[in-house]
Amino acid sequence: MDYLFEMLVLALTWALINNFVLHYFVGICPFIGVSRRVDMAFGMGCAVTFVITIAALLSWLITYYVLRAGAPLTTLLSGGKTLDLSILNYTVYIFVIAGSVQFLEMYIRKFFRPLYKAFGVFLPLITTNCAILFACLEIMKHVCAINDPLGGLVPSLVLAAFGGIGFMIAIVIMAGIREELDHCDVPKSLRGAGITLITAGILALAFMGFTGVDRGLQQLLQDKEQVAESAAAPAGQNN
Amino acid sequence: MTIIFVAGGIMLVLAIVTAIVLGWANVKFHVQVDPRVEAVMAALPGANCGGCGYVGCAEYAEAVVAGAITPDKCTVGGESCAKALAEIMGVSLQQSWPFRPVIHCGATYEDRLGRTEYKGEQSCTTANLVAGVQGCTYGCLGFGDCVRACDFDAIHVVAGLATVDYEKCVGCGACARICPRNIITMVPFKSRQMVVVTCSNKDMGKDVKAVCKVGCIGCKACERNSGGFFRIDKNLPVLDYDKYDPNNLDAIRVAVDKCPMKRLLFIGWPTEKDLEATKDLEAPDLVEADFKTTVDKTEWQG
Repeated sequence: MDYLFEMLVLALTWALINNFVLHYFVGICPFIGVSRRVDMAFGMGCAVTFVITIAALLSWLITYYVLRAGAPLTTLLSGGKTLDLSILNYTVYIFVIAGSVQFLEMYIRKFFRPLYKAFGVFLPLITTNCAILFACLEIMKHVCAINDPLGGLVPSLVLAAFGGIGFMIAIVIMAGIREELDHCDVPKSLRGAGITLITAGILALAFMGFTGVDRGLQQLLQDKEQVAESAAAPAGQNN
Repeated sequence: MTIIFVAGGIMLVLAIVTAIVLGWANVKFHVQVDPRVEAVMAALPGANCGGCGYVGCAEYAEAVVAGAITPDKCTVGGESCAKALAEIMGVSLQQSWPFRPVIHCGATYEDRLGRTEYKGEQSCTTANLVAGVQGCTYGCLGFGDCVRACDFDAIHVVAGLATVDYEKCVGCGACARICPRNIITMVPFKSRQMVVVTCSNKDMGKDVKAVCKVGCIGCKACERNSGGFFRIDKNLPVLDYDKYDPNNLDAIRVAVDKCPMKRLLFIGWPTEKDLEATKDLEAPDLVEADFKTTVDKTEWQG
């Protein structure tokens, strides 16, 4: 149960608090480019969530078995030496993301024709999405750290999937605002990307309000456990 | 030293594995597509701009091959692209006409009834969201969104009615896209002047009379007199510009003359006869919007 709560907090953290777009400012290009209409923004968000999870799975496998210091495969190859190959991170991740997107596109095209139509031009565009590279690097940070409880496969996948959902939340909110913005008389010099970036900044300020929610939640859960424990202890004595 | 070899080796292995997997997938997941689709894709610019009305170049290519749309709709590729596509498809391009906007409304401020003072933001898009700005919910609002959309100074609001200056217009279609009431359409100008239905009111005649002095009342006189060239659809005449022949306008001219509201007009570049007739006349001053507004007339009206 403890583990489940931890994952829940992690999911919440990456979906809302450490939002890719509004906290780390990665993935700005699709955020500005495809946020003109809500349905398109939702499609883009789905595609990013989908690809980011797959890319996270692959990059975790590679980081864990090949790249990190003392990874089993590298040790085997170098004849028992402990090597740190994390210098290769950018090259390998870009490689893996591009390859997996290509593969996914072919796979979806063959077996999920309607999905392929729905994703349309988004899927190839995602290849160069920095949010995905960022997720991979963030996962690498946890995997390479010693004794990090978040370095496992499941936390990495939760991080990536909910990071993608956070991206979707941000881009859909933005698209909703921009649809309304069409009715406003924006000064000429700010039209288009200008007003969108300003709006994104204000949106990011609003999302700052989530800061600390994760710690509060953890505190709450811990307190609950302590209460439960102290409640369980006398009950046990009575028996 | 080892690290270099190991790193290089791992990159090599990764590259080989990915290459094999992708190569295998390419064969295994191969989808049989019409080779013409691929040829059309190769001929298109690949800008994925959506200017043709489809989501991306791929969808447009499929539509072209399926015969759903003509091959000359790619604005980015232009004429050469259209030619290449026509060659792939084995069709010959039709003679293309210059598309120019026409305004399907003919009512100036004087003709419109039920107008009230509107103090909101001075744009058609916002005024269109508010009920009661004017009686007619179909016609031109006259706040000039189209004027602001035009990069060529080719459209102006004259006495509350958007009016196209065909000498300056290049047919980009920006005004047609911006108009919130969709009363501007792009028409193929097969001659210097085209017959246009200058009303958009789909209501019954009595209701139209209540909101407009000049609106189409759906009397079907044009349908009867033009031998079926005009067709009344939702109380408005509809004409098919594909069948429009500028050299054979007799039936249409009869219908134009018979129209009791004079809503069928020849619109376009002025003819020499018109210029001759109006040579001595003084051009009237432009009538400004007569709405009293609390906002000044600077560019930023927000």
